[in-house]
Amino acid sequence: MIRFPLKSKPRKFKYVLTGCGSGPQERVDFLKKMVTSLIRHERIEGRADKMHETRAYAEQLINLAIQHGDRHEPTMKMADEWLLEKDLVHKLFKVLAPRYQQYATAFTSVHLLPAEYPGQGRFKAVLELKGNPYPDIIPRERETRYLLTNILLSAAGRDFYAEQNRLQELNTKSETVVKDSQEVNTSYENNVSEISIKDNVKVASSTDNFKESDQTSVSK
Amino acid sequence: MPTMSGLYLFKQCPRLVPPVIDAAKCNIQLISRSLYTVPNETLEKQRTSPLNRNPELRKQSKHRVLNSKEVSEFRDRLPEFLPNPNPEHRDRISEILERQDMVNRRRNIDIPEFYVGSILAVTIADKYAPGKDGRFVGICIHREEHGLRHKFILRNVIDKQGVEIMYEMYNPLILKIEVLKQEKRLDDSLLYLRDCPLEYSYIPQDLKGQMIHKGVQVPVNKTKVPLGPRPWSQRWDRFDLKGVEEFTDWRSEKARIRALESRQHPQVAKPWEKVDLIKHYKENINPVEAEEIYGEVDKDSKNWKND
Repeated sequence: MIRFPLKSKPRKFKYVLTGCGSGPQERVDFLKKMVTSLIRHERIEGRADKMHETRAYAEQLINLAIQHGDRHEPTMKMADEWLLEKDLVHKLFKVLAPRYQQYATAFTSVHLLPAEYPGQGRFKAVLELKGNPYPDIIPRERETRYLLTNILLSAAGRDFYAEQNRLQELNTKSETVVKDSQEVNTSYENNVSEISIKDNVKVASSTDNFKESDQTSVSK
Repeated sequence: MPTMSGLYLFKQCPRLVPPVIDAAKCNIQLISRSLYTVPNETLEKQRTSPLNRNPELRKQSKHRVLNSKEVSEFRDRLPEFLPNPNPEHRDRISEILERQDMVNRRRNIDIPEFYVGSILAVTIADKYAPGKDGRFVGICIHREEHGLRHKFILRNVIDKQGVEIMYEMYNPLILKIEVLKQEKRLDDSLLYLRDCPLEYSYIPQDLKGQMIHKGVQVPVNKTKVPLGPRPWSQRWDRFDLKGVEEFTDWRSEKARIRALESRQHPQVAKPWEKVDLIKHYKENINPVEAEEIYGEVDKDSKNWKND
């Protein structure tokens, strides 16, 4: 079963083999060449429409190999017809058929490449067999969650916020104590205001220091 | 060609240009049909979408998993259960409903296993006939159509005249179908018997039925039939027929050579079609889908009527 939408009518290829016409026979000959090179190299590049057409034929050939195995005469004939280099028949039945036996998706993928500029506006595409040994075309997102640095950073963050929460709780407690004391005894007012002024000064000085350090770093 | 250009514009922007009706009327009908029908894929998305308030509940039938050999046997024995492989003619819901109807019919009447080349006797209700039913014996020369519309053609010779009757298999007027001789021929369709001498399609009306042993491989009748004089209903010399002797009665040597050359012409022989994998794939229902359909048929076949 082919697991991607097929076009209802076959695409016509014009002038695919130079000097050989452009009929249905030439179309099949061209497709044979492309299928052979795909199974040989596992990743090929060409015009997008031709790559899409090649994809279906390559996939159906693998499908037949999986379905019937290498002891089925019509399948063997098809493999012999479609693979122009005969050592690839072995690869089809011994390597590719076992590789795709358990696949629930298509066996190939097509990636469009940007159109050339200036050019005729044709799109090129890359056709590849899945599970090939080359690096991925679209890079897979790396799982960075369990890297050592990320674990340490998250732990440090957790500690930092726990500390912050603890301090906040202490502050709220002290404020309530202060409010109670204000109601009871007003003689402490002056002291409290002094403390607050001192705090402000401290903060201002710290910001000044920060600015200076910034400037120094820039000058350095 | 002004009419064709109008058609092209109509294809591109149907609302702007009024349809040109005088030429290619049927084409316009086809186009308008495709414009006003919702594609099956979008409907399927809607049916199964989690955003749908009343999602369709699918009954998950647990049938026995068939292997590929069993599926190919079913394809041979019950070809009418498979839908039309042409994607333009497919409708999943009507296929399911038709299959239900077929199964219900098979619970009420025994439709035996037969092939092209078998000899059948069909009894049909006919209110104008003396006994209100009519029986016809003949050789099955063709089977066509999918689902409920499945048909077969019986051929016989009556009063030195070839007679053919086409029966719809699931027609409720059919009272009885008997298989008098269960066998296959070398070809999938025997329509060429129309152009053969009459003795090859003659079957006596009072032929007695043979015993049919279940579980035994169906025998293949390997007789080769000579073709009658030309002209024929179709150019049988161009077909790849196994059950026909080579035609020798050409008008002249020149005519024979011309026929042979035309048969080998690439536009007639079409050698690329024998290799075209995707063409073969599109002409058949794929094995995964066939397994699903025949699995349910196999599950239901225990309830079918068997005489």
